[in-house]
Amino acid sequence: MKGVLDLLVIVLCLVLGAALWWAMLDLPSSRIHLAEQVAAKLDASGVTHPVTAVLLNFRGYDTLIEVMVLFVALIGMLTQAEKGSQWLSAGYRPPPLPAPPFHLEVLQWLARVLVPLMILTAGYLLWAGAHRAGGAFQAAALLAGAGVLLNLAGLLPAWTTFRAGMRAGSITGLLFFVLAAAATAAAPHGHLLQYPAGWAGMLILLIETGLTLSLGLILAGFFLLLSAEASDGSDTEE
Amino acid sequence: MRDPAPWLILFPLIWASLAFLRGQGRGGRLAVAGLTIQLVLAALLAEQIASDGARSYTVGGWGAPLGIDLYADGLAGVLLLLTQIVALPLVVYARAYFAIHPDGISYFWPLTGYLLAAMNALFLSADIFNIYVTLELLGLTAVGLVAAGGGAGPVGAALRYLLVTLLGSGAFLLGVALVYGTYGSMSLQVLTPLINADAPAAVFIAAGLMLVGLLLKTALFPFHFWLPPAHGGAPAPVSALLSALVVKASFYLILRLWLHAFAPLVTTVAAQLLGFLGMAAILWGSVMAIRQTRLKMLIAYSTVAQVGYLFLLFPLITDTNPAAAASALQGGVMQLVAHALAKAAMFAAAGTIILSIGRDDITRLGGVSTRLPLTLFTFALAGLTLAGLPPSGGFIAKWLLITGASGSDQWGWVVVMISGGLLSAAYVCRVLRQAFLSIEAGTKFSPVSRVLEWSAFLLASMSLLLGLRSTEVLGLLESE
Repeated sequence: MKGVLDLLVIVLCLVLGAALWWAMLDLPSSRIHLAEQVAAKLDASGVTHPVTAVLLNFRGYDTLIEVMVLFVALIGMLTQAEKGSQWLSAGYRPPPLPAPPFHLEVLQWLARVLVPLMILTAGYLLWAGAHRAGGAFQAAALLAGAGVLLNLAGLLPAWTTFRAGMRAGSITGLLFFVLAAAATAAAPHGHLLQYPAGWAGMLILLIETGLTLSLGLILAGFFLLLSAEASDGSDTEE
Repeated sequence: MRDPAPWLILFPLIWASLAFLRGQGRGGRLAVAGLTIQLVLAALLAEQIASDGARSYTVGGWGAPLGIDLYADGLAGVLLLLTQIVALPLVVYARAYFAIHPDGISYFWPLTGYLLAAMNALFLSADIFNIYVTLELLGLTAVGLVAAGGGAGPVGAALRYLLVTLLGSGAFLLGVALVYGTYGSMSLQVLTPLINADAPAAVFIAAGLMLVGLLLKTALFPFHFWLPPAHGGAPAPVSALLSALVVKASFYLILRLWLHAFAPLVTTVAAQLLGFLGMAAILWGSVMAIRQTRLKMLIAYSTVAQVGYLFLLFPLITDTNPAAAASALQGGVMQLVAHALAKAAMFAAAGTIILSIGRDDITRLGGVSTRLPLTLFTFALAGLTLAGLPPSGGFIAKWLLITGASGSDQWGWVVVMISGGLLSAAYVCRVLRQAFLSIEAGTKFSPVSRVLEWSAFLLASMSLLLGLRSTEVLGLLESE
């Protein structure tokens, strides 16, 4: 039965793949060229890099919902991670990290050198997003990477919960984006995410800075919350 | 506020974020306050649509195709109003529910806020990529709410739900990519005339992929397998939100694309196929509901059946005479509204019963009629709507659908609708019969708050009274 089902799935995938391939072959060239429209309006967008202009201005509303998707994924993980209620009691502190075995010492040394550089690079990527490839998502990924490296090197304990400070950190940047959107919608003759003339560049930089910090925490949370579960499992085995 | 549309998206985002800041289990009052404002905004928007016709709103001031547009016609207005009307009593109910049963609350409030933001954004969207983003937010919040609910069962159901919803949005996104590749735009307003003028094979494949993705999320038979464990296993307020509203969001998209942007692509064969799947859903869902031993699973299978009715719409509106099609469309939307109200009431009532007796077995419901009369009455009223008895909204819905079917000489669907109504009556009566038996030894009724009983009753009575106020709903639907 399972073999028949597998075969059916494979055949379906092949048929879909063939149909897509055949359809793509005679795809007509489209009459609307959005890239040209982006280039034509780039001056009014507040930034000079077209990708950033699309993500934070022309289609900034998509980005607003997209960052909420990432955030909801974090909440989903928190609902699972915080189920062991011992972590929620006020007096609980995570156990101290054990002394590192010898092979970790090199990694720890490396992490101590690299992490400040990674934070510096994240800051640069955020700034560079205005005129070349870069921006909040890339910078946040780098910050989260720094968190992962610190955890792997045994310098940062895994996260078991988000206390008030962490919750504030992970939502503030997103909330700032939402409130900026609300302010633009509330302005007289304004529309949702229509930046006032001359303010676009500054507002985009502020929004991206907030997003970098919050997304950095959120992305790091994806790894560090799972890492707590992994170490939990090994404890019970011992 | 001149334009309520963007605020219907911003408000839930703001209160959900504030609720998260306050931590686990916090934010119930924020939700009630936020939803009250949202209800006013939705009513305002509905009034604007009813008096001035459909409205669009250019996000960022750019305009399509460079920017994203919001668009609210009568159909969107009905769904926005319905969502806030169903959600407000449900959040009041949820506060009382989690006060008694605090284990399952977790991040219920922020997740509910983001869920409502996603629904409102989805109803208002006029851009297929933006629709994809709202679908992602909606799917993830719904999965989060199921997963937050408790032990291994709900987490397993949530995981399956996650895979299904990701597959569904993946198929939808593939369709979006094909459409964008063909026409160079994602705005529905720009795409509609282009698709009408010329649709190459890629667009047919895209429409098919998007349809299948949305059918997965709507849980139409045979894609219903994920729904009963997810909806039946979650805490009652979550089950109510998911069954009443979330499955309707993807159905709304199918209907909207079918009627407008993809109208040149639809065929009678596809419409008949959807009708047959709807018929299979009605029969299979009802029979499975009758066979369940757990109360919430029975209600979840009833959702599978009731979703089937929505799809009987398609054979009646495709290539039929305009009068019959108009009547069928009205019937389909009435069915959607009536089911949302009734199913929210039914899950809420079931939640109250389970909180009180601490069990979910249908055979152990004896004594409910004397100890929880209002809740049982609520359940019965909701059942009346599901079975389609007058004067309920469900009756008007089926009446209009039957008028559409007879007007287009498709009598076969009439038989399906009537037998579906009888089957619904059968599973509702099964619960009622048990509830009227005397109390079994060992069953203890713990007291429940009146808020639980009355908020569910409010929903059930709205589903019943909808039949008397159907002209307003249909008037709003007609505004173009």
